[in-house]
Amino acid sequence: MKSILLLQLQRLRREPGLVIWMFVMTIGFVLLLGGFGMGKTTVPVYFGETLSGSEQENLINRLNESDTYAFEITDEDTAIKKVALGEIPHAIKAMKSDYQIVIAADNPDQLLLDQYVKQIYAHELRLQAVEASADSSNVRAEIERNLDESPITLTNITAEEANRTSGYDQKNHYLFGMTLFFSIYTIIFSLGKVAEEKRTGTWNRVILSPVRKWQVYIGHLCYAFMIGFVQILAVFLCFKYVFDFYIGDDFGAIILTTACYTFAIVALGMLMLGLVKSMEQLNALVPIVSVSMAMIGGAYWPIEAVTNSVILAISKLLPITYAMDALKEVVMYNQGIVAIAESLSILLVIGVLCMGVGINLMERKA
Amino acid sequence: MLETTNLKKTFKKDIAVNDVNLYLDKGESVGLLGPNGAGKSTTISMISSLIKPTAGDVTWQGKSIVKDPSVIRLQLGVVPQEIALYKELTANENLKFFGRIYGLKGNLLNERIAHVLDIVGLTERKDELVKNYSGGMQRRINIAVALLHEPEIIIMDEPTVGIDPQSRNYILEMVQKLNRENGMTVLYTSHYMEEVERLCDRIYIMDHGKVIASGTKQELTGILSNEETIVLELDRQYPQLLLQLANIENVLRIIETEKGVKLIAPKKSRLLGKVFQMAEQHHAQIVSVNVQVPTLEDVFLHLTGRKLRD
Repeated sequence: MKSILLLQLQRLRREPGLVIWMFVMTIGFVLLLGGFGMGKTTVPVYFGETLSGSEQENLINRLNESDTYAFEITDEDTAIKKVALGEIPHAIKAMKSDYQIVIAADNPDQLLLDQYVKQIYAHELRLQAVEASADSSNVRAEIERNLDESPITLTNITAEEANRTSGYDQKNHYLFGMTLFFSIYTIIFSLGKVAEEKRTGTWNRVILSPVRKWQVYIGHLCYAFMIGFVQILAVFLCFKYVFDFYIGDDFGAIILTTACYTFAIVALGMLMLGLVKSMEQLNALVPIVSVSMAMIGGAYWPIEAVTNSVILAISKLLPITYAMDALKEVVMYNQGIVAIAESLSILLVIGVLCMGVGINLMERKA
Repeated sequence: MLETTNLKKTFKKDIAVNDVNLYLDKGESVGLLGPNGAGKSTTISMISSLIKPTAGDVTWQGKSIVKDPSVIRLQLGVVPQEIALYKELTANENLKFFGRIYGLKGNLLNERIAHVLDIVGLTERKDELVKNYSGGMQRRINIAVALLHEPEIIIMDEPTVGIDPQSRNYILEMVQKLNRENGMTVLYTSHYMEEVERLCDRIYIMDHGKVIASGTKQELTGILSNEETIVLELDRQYPQLLLQLANIENVLRIIETEKGVKLIAPKKSRLLGKVFQMAEQHHAQIVSVNVQVPTLEDVFLHLTGRKLRD
């Protein structure tokens, strides 16, 4: 087993292209989709009813308190034309006490934008209500000052000792989604060396040696697991220390989630190897499976944005759904291992099932 | 030493190997001949314990390898038809890996590697990547891997396919030396009749999954001892002439060759007169005529109705 593992590492040292490429692709896609280095997402705003200059300025200033969005005043025609042509995904029609989001097609970002704008409007409307009922003319300034320098600080401590809750973060979502997605390629193609060895005859040569067959399998499985596990953790550490992403304080839970997910994908890879007849078939199957799994399992966009019950039901069968769920629980909602135990258990069950069926299919073909 | 008894292998409804009985004595060199699909590779796979037979048994020194494959694995070296090497690694790295899985390590491993590299004549180039080797050199390392653990018996499945004549000759000399000087038992399959004639003490001929003849070269050619072969070389092919020649009384078999035709007929059939007459009728120019005793190739053709490389 050790010899097989060392051999695969030696082969990796000679031809590291795939692993390096997948690592670079992950970083590139997270940066691209997370909008890193490109500043904020610009959202055009036009006014649907007459607002005074100061009201418009006040609203835009409030909206632009966001770290994610940059709201720019534009005219209605330009905004609608840009949305219609697909140049921008959405625009805001702002009114005095309400707003509308202009979209050409549904997209997951609109939910996040809606949530943010709704929050600003609700706050503003509450302030206006207080202003209208108060005698003092500078009640708004007083409230703002008190909010900034609040005399009492309320800290929620839950059973999971959540002392820092970052809440939903799109950048983290892309980090987890893309990392898990690209790791599927690395893991399954690393495991694909079994198919390649069967084709070239080296597999039979090893089987004819005194090494037991299960040792050969374990050697290959350990290699694929190690490569996938190291890649996922390396990407997380890279984003934590190089790009300053917040990935939570419970790194142990992240490691455990990564291990369970990698095991499930290695097992899925074995199942796929059992189903295909050649390396060419595997090369064709991997992108189909990985992309569909990432789309349905919520790696590209939040699973919460999906409403179709069939897709939601399918997502329950996919390892990526549980890994995303566990990582988001740990990092975005500061949950501990107890909270993600169910997701991790399901990942292990998926792994055991796929591994059993996969090895069985492979042995039948032998 | 090694014996198969009523060996049978079926894949779904196809019978790949059917009741094959063969044996190898210690130090013998035995050839396994047969056209594509004859069942040679399946037989070899069963003998080497790679696949289990549907029926029958393979024994090594009296012990069944079907029940316990480990009884043969340390004593067996297999040279597969394909280049079963990690081409992105050097020859030395390949040999080290395969040596380790046979339990060799340290100085012993290094000594064995040096020894087999010397046998295959690639000591100077051991640190080059296998993918940069020529086809012949890759074949030689393919053999070296099988020799690394000093097996008592080596099974070679068409080890000279697709290589240049020099490399082929080198490999044949090497096999001859291993068998005659080192006393290694060899089971050799090939598409090349001359290789088997040169290397093997005994020959098994397989077709459609069965052994259809076996014996020494003399015993096999003796099958056609009452026949003679007339080899007619023409300036070009004459299909009509061929048809007419086939109808001559006493012609047992007719084979179209690259530049003419081969006729197998009983000795003293006095066919030449008729052959010349027919050639004249078709305005065919005869380049040469040769009457010879049947070769192993002729025997093969007689038994299977096919050329070895069909």
